[in-house]
Amino acid sequence: MDIFLQQLINGLTIGSLYALVALGYTMVYGVMKLINFAHGDLVAFSAFVGLTIYTQIFGEGVTSIVAVVTVFSFTAALIAMVGVLLERLAYRPLRTAPRLSAVVSALGAGLVIQNAVMLIWGPNMRVFPSNLLPSTVYEFGGVVFTFTQVMILGLSSILMVALYIFINRTKIGTAIRAVAIDQDAARLMGINVNRIIMIIFIIGSALGAVAGLFLGIYYRGITFDMGWQYGLNAFVAAIMGGIGNIPGAMVGGLILGLFNAMISGYISSQWAEAFTFILLIAILIFRPTGILGEKVAEKV
Amino acid sequence: MKGLFSKFATTAAVGMALVSATYAADVVKIGVQAPITGQYANEGQSIDYGVKLIAEQYNAKGGILGKKIEVVSCDDEGTAQKAAICARRLVNEGVIAVIGSYTTGATEAAQTTYFRNKVLQTSDGTGDSLTKHKYWTFFRNSFQNSAQAEFTADYFVNVKKYQRIAIMSDYSSYSTGLADAVVSELKKLNANIIAVEKIKAGAQNYTATLTKLKSLNPDVIYYAGYYNEGGLLRAQQLQLKIDADYVGGDSNDNPDFIKLAGDSAVGSILVNFPTPEFLPYDTAKKFLADYRAKYNQEPASIWALMNVDGMLAILHAMEELKTEDTKKISDFLHTLVDFPGITGPVSFREDGERVNTKFNVYQIQDDKTYKIIY
Repeated sequence: MDIFLQQLINGLTIGSLYALVALGYTMVYGVMKLINFAHGDLVAFSAFVGLTIYTQIFGEGVTSIVAVVTVFSFTAALIAMVGVLLERLAYRPLRTAPRLSAVVSALGAGLVIQNAVMLIWGPNMRVFPSNLLPSTVYEFGGVVFTFTQVMILGLSSILMVALYIFINRTKIGTAIRAVAIDQDAARLMGINVNRIIMIIFIIGSALGAVAGLFLGIYYRGITFDMGWQYGLNAFVAAIMGGIGNIPGAMVGGLILGLFNAMISGYISSQWAEAFTFILLIAILIFRPTGILGEKVAEKV
Repeated sequence: MKGLFSKFATTAAVGMALVSATYAADVVKIGVQAPITGQYANEGQSIDYGVKLIAEQYNAKGGILGKKIEVVSCDDEGTAQKAAICARRLVNEGVIAVIGSYTTGATEAAQTTYFRNKVLQTSDGTGDSLTKHKYWTFFRNSFQNSAQAEFTADYFVNVKKYQRIAIMSDYSSYSTGLADAVVSELKKLNANIIAVEKIKAGAQNYTATLTKLKSLNPDVIYYAGYYNEGGLLRAQQLQLKIDADYVGGDSNDNPDFIKLAGDSAVGSILVNFPTPEFLPYDTAKKFLADYRAKYNQEPASIWALMNVDGMLAILHAMEELKTEDTKKISDFLHTLVDFPGITGPVSFREDGERVNTKFNVYQIQDDKTYKIIY
């Protein structure tokens, strides 16, 4: 039983990180029908930015709430700005172009970010200091978890709930949903579509930045090319949950993390990836729009 | 207009041909194929730096056979796809020998291209498969996985007397090769292997697999992969409070292992050829001093030095034979005995295998230094 609980915690931790990244994909897709392939690289970028902010302002070896709050808020703000810039430079000029052009532009933007990270911070792996968050370990009857894991689960749940409320209960959230349904109609209703898209990129990139920082803190080693792998997993999570659907991305991320952990734990880690994709195919066969995806008539 | 263009094109082509012809006569080109960026970047850079340092030293003394050595580097990122591209590029550049690559997989992908084009290659890759084709162009400057496996199995069973052994590897040809070799050697000694697991390199999260191992109560976890995963495995092992020794194969030996594992690195055990600071030879001390003076850092690990030894042996053969004919150099190297290299005497067998196997077991101490324990 304790082994099962341990796998549950392992899976939830990585799953909530996938979910945070998946939100970035799904929100952009929901509004612009564009797969933002640069998102994964933005996540990697944020890990490097966070590391630099931490070591430059506080120096290694400092554990304080001030440091944690500063690193997270500065990084999120900076990455949000980069996200907005990305939209302005790489996507807005192509908004009326065929969808394929925008996807190619997204792939190109991803390469630009990845190589910029490599040129700024070098091709070597960089290592996060181990003491940004206290390294306390809790143990309850054979189940072990760390303070970092509690932080990851706690903060990502708070962020996801907050996002859900924001989208469903506020005026801007309503506008976002309106733009997602029909951009032209929304514009006729007096909604500033450009502003909504900017807000989407701010939120998506900031959530990605939080995920990137947690990846750095939890796994310690960060490389300039790590974005692709996490991006791909999160992308799969977004599709599983139903791309364009915000609770879907959260559910998809958690399912992906849990499923991976359970397969690795009870069958074999060699099969984890194969089974994950079997699950994806099965979901897409029985629910082509994903677990929580809504039926959209125009989709073929 | 057309006439003008073709005239221009001809002039340019003739000019280029002239330039490359004079160029080729003046220099001896040595290629470096190494993972200069990507996961194994610091190993790849050390190889590149080491080769360039030797080339510089030779050039300062007037080069080789009266010609300057020119180093052409190609980054294979540690992947087979990029390695194949590098192989073509280096062959087109007209190198006579290639130093590298670091990983078995990348080396294997490039091997055949070098063989077909009669370009010598020397690599530290330890996968047994590298010498199975018996290419006369290939020289391994390190040791075979099977030799390391035999040593490791003997150490586990006869020295440490482990009762419950868990083996892990990634999917690379080096890592699976080493893990398979260790498993078969352990079986010969009737050891109790309780689990053989594979992890995906770069996935970073290995807690699921480790939790599974925890339920099996191993007294040792042996990891036959690279340092990036090794450091994380060690950290996550202790985070999950798995009370077992951690033993890493040769590729765990890298400063990044300690950086990644942090305080968890203390107590982990590594099996490898002597690391640079433990090399007793004067050649090694001089090389390390020169390396430090030029680059203001240490080479990442022993692998760069092994590759440099391969290069030194090739240059030595060229000087002895006064030729750039790769076949003659190869014949000479196949019978080379006890050439004083940086990592010890260099001798090659008929199949391009380096003759020597001297392993050590290190334990990482509280101050993150290595101590030889066997």
